[in-house]
Amino acid sequence: MAPSRGPQPLPRTLHKTLANHKGPIHVARYSKGTATYVLTGGADRTIRLWNANLGTEIKTFAAHGYEVLSVCVSHDNSKFASSGGDRSIFLWDVTAGATTRRLPGHMGKINVVEFNEDSTVLASGSYDASVRLWDLRSQPRQPIQVLEEARDAVQTIHVGPTSIITGSVDGHVRTYDLRKGELRTDYIGHPITSLLPTADSQTLLVTTLDSHVRLLDLSTGQMLNTFKGHTGKEYRVRACFGAAEASVVCGDEEGRIWGWDLVDASILQPNPPPKVHEKVITWTEHHPSDPGEMITASADGTCIVWRHPNGMVGA
Amino acid sequence: MTSRLKRKLGDIGVDSSSSKANESFCLIGTPLPPLEKSKDSGEFVPLWKQDVRDEQGRRRLHGAFTGGFSAGYFNTVGSKEGWTPSTFVSSRSDRAKQKGSRPEDFMDEEDLAELQEGRNLVDNNDEMDLLGGTQAELRQKGGVEEPEKDAITSALEASMLPSPKDSAGARILKKMGWRVGQGIGPRITWRQRKLQDLQASTGPEVDVNSILDDEDTEEAKKHTYAPRDTPILLVDRKDNAHGLGYKPGMRLNDTLGVGKRAEGPKGPNLSAGFGLGALNDADEDDLDVYDGSFKQARRHMAYDASERDEDDEIVIGTKQHSGRSKPSPRSASSIQIFNNGRPVLAGFVLSEKPVAEDRWFPLPDIPKGWSPNPKRIWEKNKENVESSQKPQDPSQPVPHAKWRAGISADERGIMLGETPLPSAPRSVFEYISQKDRERIQNIASGAAGAAPSTGPTPEPGPSQRPSIVVPYMEAHIAQAALRGFQPFTTDHVKQARYTAYLNSQATPDPGRDIGFVPIGMMPGQKIDEFNKELSDYAKAAAIFKPISGAMAGRFTSAAVVENAPKIVEGLHTPSVESENARAIAEAQAKAMDASVEKEEETPKAHAARMGMYGRLTREVMLWQPAKLLCKRFGVKDPNPEPVVDASTAPAPPSANPGATDSSVPDIPAFTGTESFRAPSGAGLTGRQGASGQGRKDPSNVGLGDDDDQGRDTLTYERPAMDIFKAIFASDEEDSDEDEDAKMDQDDDKLSAVASSGVPLAIGGTKKIDTASFKPTFIPRDGKKSKDKDKGKKDRKKKGERTIVSFDLDEDGGESLSLSLPKEKSKDRPKKKKRKDKDRKEDAEDDDESMWVEKPPPEAVKGVAASPPESMNVDAAEQAADRGRKKAIDFW
Repeated sequence: MAPSRGPQPLPRTLHKTLANHKGPIHVARYSKGTATYVLTGGADRTIRLWNANLGTEIKTFAAHGYEVLSVCVSHDNSKFASSGGDRSIFLWDVTAGATTRRLPGHMGKINVVEFNEDSTVLASGSYDASVRLWDLRSQPRQPIQVLEEARDAVQTIHVGPTSIITGSVDGHVRTYDLRKGELRTDYIGHPITSLLPTADSQTLLVTTLDSHVRLLDLSTGQMLNTFKGHTGKEYRVRACFGAAEASVVCGDEEGRIWGWDLVDASILQPNPPPKVHEKVITWTEHHPSDPGEMITASADGTCIVWRHPNGMVGA
Repeated sequence: MTSRLKRKLGDIGVDSSSSKANESFCLIGTPLPPLEKSKDSGEFVPLWKQDVRDEQGRRRLHGAFTGGFSAGYFNTVGSKEGWTPSTFVSSRSDRAKQKGSRPEDFMDEEDLAELQEGRNLVDNNDEMDLLGGTQAELRQKGGVEEPEKDAITSALEASMLPSPKDSAGARILKKMGWRVGQGIGPRITWRQRKLQDLQASTGPEVDVNSILDDEDTEEAKKHTYAPRDTPILLVDRKDNAHGLGYKPGMRLNDTLGVGKRAEGPKGPNLSAGFGLGALNDADEDDLDVYDGSFKQARRHMAYDASERDEDDEIVIGTKQHSGRSKPSPRSASSIQIFNNGRPVLAGFVLSEKPVAEDRWFPLPDIPKGWSPNPKRIWEKNKENVESSQKPQDPSQPVPHAKWRAGISADERGIMLGETPLPSAPRSVFEYISQKDRERIQNIASGAAGAAPSTGPTPEPGPSQRPSIVVPYMEAHIAQAALRGFQPFTTDHVKQARYTAYLNSQATPDPGRDIGFVPIGMMPGQKIDEFNKELSDYAKAAAIFKPISGAMAGRFTSAAVVENAPKIVEGLHTPSVESENARAIAEAQAKAMDASVEKEEETPKAHAARMGMYGRLTREVMLWQPAKLLCKRFGVKDPNPEPVVDASTAPAPPSANPGATDSSVPDIPAFTGTESFRAPSGAGLTGRQGASGQGRKDPSNVGLGDDDDQGRDTLTYERPAMDIFKAIFASDEEDSDEDEDAKMDQDDDKLSAVASSGVPLAIGGTKKIDTASFKPTFIPRDGKKSKDKDKGKKDRKKKGERTIVSFDLDEDGGESLSLSLPKEKSKDRPKKKKRKDKDRKEDAEDDDESMWVEKPPPEAVKGVAASPPESMNVDAAEQAADRGRKKAIDFW
């Protein structure tokens, strides 16, 4: 490819298809560290651990009684947390393949769970419009704190080093700043399906149900960019940053993977992108270190590992 | 024995002295009771001495404690084996019959004997029963239809079968000369008897004389007769679901006594459409209730065995008339003819009375150009109500309500043009001054708004009219209801009235009358209706006022405004004006809705809609994170309690510029261990837990939280080994307790140092005696600085840690693995093996390895540790530089 100033093209060559799930896949997460593995959770009540490189399933974690809506891997990859329709958070031991703790307390299905940096605190956002923060170093039955500011279901949470950012269906992004002891509420106006801050924690990628992905300045609350063109009106779709945070990637409800230039918000080629999934793409996640790898999970029951074609790696 | 007899016996040859010859056959007097007690001597035995014995004289009932086996064994059904169930045997040749078990099957001899006695009693009673207790009648009552016996059969039966046993009463009556079939009483003449017959039969049209003047009555009149038997009315028990008075098989004609038919000998027709199984008997419910052909003829007489005379038929239940008792006059002329000459169909009779026709009135003449418009009536009504205050114009039509209320004498006089008499004023309003009256009028009309006021106007009507009662409501309830859910949003008029009412109640005016009516009555509304409306409003306000207190935060109101179609009463008259008016009204409503929505849309939402995110869409409020949360995140409590504030006030808030420098020395031992984050994360939180709990002690206050407190620990002597072990050996919570204890000591020492005023040891140029330097535990500042400018390194280190758990299938070619320290990679297989082992042990090992050899001095360590990291960081940043944009880029 000719050297250009634009962002790296998205990895669009199918590397492996992870297709053992029986129903829609709701979440697909890379493991921490070198991110060799992928954890997927789906409507078939299982969580599966895959080797993304080989495309083989390593393990199936089955204890959920309902769909799995969220998976979160701890910083040391020794455990992960999952949640879903059964109103309890499940903490798993990766090697044992069994739950070590179950944290009940939410009144509705839990849409999202997220560890903090050193996996001492777990944040969970639920349909009951509350965010609960659980202490993982002790065994209390009650959460440390319950954040009840949301007026509707909490769809997404990001736990930063000193802040917790939640996105809710009521269209608000709430930033709980622990250091300042203040809560900054940014009104987006549309139900929020996913949040992802950049690595410098200055900007925030917000996916909303009005078929827009927005880039928000976290310090002022101003909108820096709007990415549109795709359709996302009904399903929880997670957008992510592309390689080196130079682009924005989001799947849409027709099974296409859209890419935008982060700066000028132009749609990356091809436009429109080809349809690669049968159904809505529920989750896109870029490899944290490898610029040429990305996974997408879809409601058609497959999770696809995308890479650049051979020879283009690192281009 | 006499001598003569002796001699005779002696002659015969019998020894008179033998005992046989002397046997005595006569007993004189009552024999004495035997000496030994007999079993049933009949003498009195006290209760405690009585015992129960069976027929063989054996004692079978024992006390509760002496019975035991004997009682259970012998008091069974009488056999050693107890009751044996009968076996069911059935074969092809010998079919077992299905036999229902009777109660007698389960009875022993005693029970059967008792039953027999009971039977006899019942049988006697049956015989005595006069009211149809005989078998025949029982059968009849049971609904078993036996074919009508003809006379020969009954006669034969009477002669062949044994006559039923008479009851005592019947026997007495018979002895007194009564015979079966006769009535009771003195004998009567022929004529009387005939009259009795007439009374019994229900035919009124029977010509008495025609009967009495029969030619063969000449002879009959010479005798007297027994009176007719009195029919006994038998009232059947009602055990069906039919209506009262209805008999199955009765038709409408039957009830009216018309349409007599010959009774067929068939049974009842079953109602069509419902199948009956072969084994099912036709129940009364299955009968065709519309089938008139079957009529039950049932006669109940006190004695109906003999003298079965057609004349005696007394029908109970169905209206079957004997031909003689009801000779129809029309039957003579068998063919009836309508007045138009056509013959009446067979089976039908002409009605005597003409059919009453419904009265139909002709439609009134509708004036030309008239169209139904009920609103006009209301308008007119309104005018009339208004005009009723002033002297009535006789030419104007009087409203209906007025007519109903009646015209008072004054009004009548006005109508007639009389001069009104000076009479005493009747209304309350006439007592008050003219100014007050005007004021009231003004208030009423002003509050009524669009609706014209008729409520409080001085009406010269009758004073007993119901008065308007305004339900009182607390002002705060009304205010809350005004803010809360509006129940009448679909009806704008009602909503306006509701709001007006609430407004009047929400702002209590001290000068206002309690009974002040905020809204006027609707046109055509009566006072009680108006009162009901007001009370409805009060109730609605009480119900729909928003929830206060803790529950209020649980609910959010829907943003959707109900827009149901407005329902207009009266006939729909699509005229041009009304269409126009409606269009205008709709447009107005739409505009109003839009304006309302505009109002409802907060500036925030507006800004969001316009895409003007920023200050308008951002709200900042205070938020208090839980203390434990701050501890876990390694963040100082942003809003500490006042006591803590006072003690930590001198310290600079959080960002000490010195602390942000990278000059704070790393703790060498920690960088080598698997847990880089331990001092900042795990260890720190543990320490904070200790300090948090020790905060009650004034000497400990704030030490754990203050960033500056730990700075001087560089010069601080190394604490005992076990403290470190206790702190860092395990991050499990169960060790927190002793950890706390240790930390308390630690804090004491720290505070001692802090208070001694040792200058803070900061800065890379700080000289450190490498010989005496010992790594110490630094709680805060290390973490701070790392947080600030070593985030990247931090992440890398985390990446290294993550390899620990997922390295089973790790391919070594990853770029990040290059940055692994040597001892770490050596350590790997060991770790892999005991991954599931206790981590405490693990950490202890590390601790030992870290503490046994003296760590290299600070400067050396920094040189040794930094290059790969910085390389990595640089590489990462180079990669990131190409594409990453920061917020600053957009400015």
